[in-house]
Amino acid sequence: MKNFLSLQNISLDLDNKEILKGLNLQVDKGEFIAITGSSGAGKTSLLRIICGLESPKEGEILLDNMIIFNKGISVPTEKRNIGLVIQEKVLFPHLTARKNIEFGLSKNSSNESHVDEILHHLNITKLANKFPHELSGGESQRVALARSIVMKPKLLLLDEPFTGLDTELKSNIYPEIQSILKNNMITSLMVTHDLNEVKALSDKCFNLDSGKLIEI
Amino acid sequence: MKINKFLLLALLVLPISLLILFMSDEQVENEEVNIYTSRHYDADDLLYEEFTKKTGIKVNIISGSGSALIERLKAEGANSPGDVFFTVDAGNLANFQKQGFLQPIQSEAIKNIVPVELRGLNDEWVAVAKRARVIFYNPELVSDEEIENINYEDLADEMWKGRVVIRSSSNMYNQSLVSSLISNLGVEQTETWARNLVSNFARKPQGNDRSQIMAVANKEAAIAVANTYYMGIMLSGKGGDEQLSAAKKVKIAFPNQNNRGSHVNISGGGVLKYAPNRDNAEKFLEFLLSEEAQNHIVNNTFEYPILDTVKPHPLIANFGDFKMDKTSVADFGKYNPEAVKLMDRVNWQ
Amino acid sequence: MFKFKDLNIWHVLILIICSIFFIPLIFIGGSILFGINENFYHLYENLLLDYALNSLYLVLGVSCLVTILGVSTALLVTYFDFFGKKFFQWALILPLAVPPYLLAYVFTEFFDFSGTANVFARNIFDLQNDVAIFPNIRTITGAVIVFGFTLYPYVYMISRVALMNIPASVIEASILLGRNKIFTFFNLSIPLIRPAIIAGLALVAMETLSDFGAVEHFAIPTFTTGIFRTWTGLYDLTTALQLSTMLLLVVFIFLAIERNSRNKIRYANSNYENNAYKPIQLKTYKSSIAFIICLLPVFIGFILPVLELINWATQIDNIFSNKVFTAASNTLFVASLAAFLTCLLALFINFSVRSLKIPQVFNDLLSLGYAVPGLILAVGITQMFTSIDFWIANSNFFITGSIIGLILAYIIKSYAISNNVLNSSYAGIPKSVDESAQTLGANKSRLLQEVHIPLLNTGLLTAFLLVLAELIKELPATLILRPFNFDTLSVSVYLLASEERMFQAAFPGLVIIGFGLIPIYFLNKLILNKNN
Repeated sequence: MKNFLSLQNISLDLDNKEILKGLNLQVDKGEFIAITGSSGAGKTSLLRIICGLESPKEGEILLDNMIIFNKGISVPTEKRNIGLVIQEKVLFPHLTARKNIEFGLSKNSSNESHVDEILHHLNITKLANKFPHELSGGESQRVALARSIVMKPKLLLLDEPFTGLDTELKSNIYPEIQSILKNNMITSLMVTHDLNEVKALSDKCFNLDSGKLIEI
Repeated sequence: MKINKFLLLALLVLPISLLILFMSDEQVENEEVNIYTSRHYDADDLLYEEFTKKTGIKVNIISGSGSALIERLKAEGANSPGDVFFTVDAGNLANFQKQGFLQPIQSEAIKNIVPVELRGLNDEWVAVAKRARVIFYNPELVSDEEIENINYEDLADEMWKGRVVIRSSSNMYNQSLVSSLISNLGVEQTETWARNLVSNFARKPQGNDRSQIMAVANKEAAIAVANTYYMGIMLSGKGGDEQLSAAKKVKIAFPNQNNRGSHVNISGGGVLKYAPNRDNAEKFLEFLLSEEAQNHIVNNTFEYPILDTVKPHPLIANFGDFKMDKTSVADFGKYNPEAVKLMDRVNWQ
Repeated sequence: MFKFKDLNIWHVLILIICSIFFIPLIFIGGSILFGINENFYHLYENLLLDYALNSLYLVLGVSCLVTILGVSTALLVTYFDFFGKKFFQWALILPLAVPPYLLAYVFTEFFDFSGTANVFARNIFDLQNDVAIFPNIRTITGAVIVFGFTLYPYVYMISRVALMNIPASVIEASILLGRNKIFTFFNLSIPLIRPAIIAGLALVAMETLSDFGAVEHFAIPTFTTGIFRTWTGLYDLTTALQLSTMLLLVVFIFLAIERNSRNKIRYANSNYENNAYKPIQLKTYKSSIAFIICLLPVFIGFILPVLELINWATQIDNIFSNKVFTAASNTLFVASLAAFLTCLLALFINFSVRSLKIPQVFNDLLSLGYAVPGLILAVGITQMFTSIDFWIANSNFFITGSIIGLILAYIIKSYAISNNVLNSSYAGIPKSVDESAQTLGANKSRLLQEVHIPLLNTGLLTAFLLVLAELIKELPATLILRPFNFDTLSVSVYLLASEERMFQAAFPGLVIIGFGLIPIYFLNKLILNKNN
């Protein structure tokens, strides 16, 4: 589907500076878009606007033909069905990996098998009963990804999730992720500094500069 | 900012030196008497002043609870500077005596004034004032027939269910009352009585005697058991308006007038075993039994006098004469441990 | 590593201090060696079960109440903006300034037959003078209410700090997974702060079990009243000590729970940076509900008692009477002396741990003193001193009945507070400062005097004030250990309340509350600092 995600004329101020100005973006369903840019350019803010944790000053956001944000409407984050995986570890420390992943799901058998599937796909089945403090960096991020993906999100946002992991680990993770996203037809937006990552995962790449996105 | 801590230090050197003075307080000098008292009536201070004025003997007071005084005496041992022990309730005096802290009083003058039933074993302590533990009732809630010729024993009857208030069993006055009942009726009968009494309580024991009298004035209960002097205090206005109006709403009934008489307890004193000023101690006790002191006691704490030439305060005298139980008050101490356990067994809280 | 050849005068000194702290406890536990006498059997057959059941009921009831009050208000104040939130943030701690026994006395008089509550109700509903609307407060349920409203601030504070330590990203993660805010707060925030809540509850349980004034006034037989009664009524110190041992064992269980939970708290937050969730503005209707929920505990636990005390105090002619003045100066004297010594001790021990290689474990052991109920400490110290005096019976120097016992009890009880403050203050001084001083030739003594103390000045002052406020509230230990003819504010209030003379007790009560406000000021600074 074309223009599955559509951002129109988005503006945002941060500390009295206009960091996003008249920003536009169209993404097709199933596409994997990478976003690069210098630090402080507003990439994280952009992602937070899309999933609703922050609101832009003006503009319109459409997802799957529904308005999720404009002058009159702002759909609350919990209803947007947009996943977000960030760099920091935000697994719930009091729950096992499996329970973390199940957190957003209601208890039924089809969901259970779905969880098993995702665990298998990302190679973390053996970690299911471990607690977050027992997991390495790479393992945590995989669990975090699983947790978001299992919700069958319409859109998956990734904010430098693999920064800080070692290169070998990354090269192992990329194909797993790509396959799971393609299989589930999940549209994705990823902020990154790593050009290898851009090459490995994305269909298109945009650079955020002076408040606007420019395709590269 | 460095000055702060040092200033503080300086400020405290002063109190520390006071501290040292604290401890050398008990230097024994001539013409002094050291009184260990657990009475907490402000009016006693005037009594001590009177004594000093009359005899020139300086009075030093150590006041505290009975148990605290006992610990202190245990610690002081033979070096104790204490001369006199002064307190309320024969039970307290007997407990003290049991620990071996008193010595027999020798003054004939004292023994002539205080009848035998108001003295401790071996004359180790004597009464200096009396109080009765009587029934206060609300005439609007109690008929004349019900209250006429009432006995303590009657309080266990069904007809008083939910109409009686009395303070906690932890209070010595009640323990002594129960002791006197044990002395007269035996343990078994007293226990049955107590058990039935407890089931007649209008409320769980709480507050002091005054509180019980107020409850009767407020019609929370029909009758209360309390000491006679409270009526004096409340009627005198010394306790405030609320208590004065409450006192006017209640009347006193003296129990057991057709048999042994109403339960009488005492304020009393004794001479401490290692008293360095033994003679002064006895002088003080004699003073307490003098007309002056007896009048003072009668007029300030509204107790009954020992000396029969002294009349009780009009507010108290107005209740009329009554027959007093002549059970030896020393028995209260004798049966006290039994009384306490009995009260616990019947769940008198 | 610690080797025996390193043993020097400092170690010996510290060992002596630790022993002094623990000897009262040894005397308490040692009472078991004297065997069980008939008084104990009597207690066992008739009263012990009551003591245990009542204590159990109290602890359970109070725990429920403080959890409801403390956690709900903490959630509201952390996650929402509403009318009065800025006020309630700190005001919710105010009831800590009112010691439980004082609230018990106030409530008794307030709900009494002719007390304010009933008079008010009669006026409103135009009733006869002999009708009482409000039930008797002097029951075990009443006690649960009293403890609940004076102790919930512990749970509130500890929950609030714990909630603020949950990074926004964790909350956001839950919301991104499709869970709404209510679900998130109940199924994520609360489980995450569970160790904190448990630590708070353990503290509340210890405070409840230690209380003497409130339960005695309400005529509820518990271990503390039993211990007091056995000693003052039956004159049996040994049995009282044996009862104390039993209570102490229960208290130690809660102490273990508290320590264990505190460790879990540190653990749970170690992985996160601090970045709290932005509060959500509530609309009028919900905002007023939040307002009422927060107002209730503050009103019942602080505003109401203070207003009533002021009301009573104004009806007395001479509030600055000689007695009150004497009591106040006695209180200040003994509390300041003890506070000063405690801070000195904490300074010395922390210095030793930092610079003299004394193992930290000593510090931790001494800090346990706060858990010992004041009543038990007092009874143990009494026995200890009576025994000591007996051995040195020939001198004229008696410690029994002197102020030393009281001060010792105060120091043992309040060491933990001054230690906490000095510990954090010391943590703020980098080791490099010590090292520079040493390279400049300063020996240990100069290090302490010329480097540490000036840097620690604020900390020392803070510790002093916090300990002072704590000691002014203390009742059971003071009641038992005070020298003769030496009443403090708390003791005056106790004695007057026992004689049902609350009007006279009002002013001293207000002074106690006034001093109790000091730590609240500091606690708030602590919490607000965390907020930044």
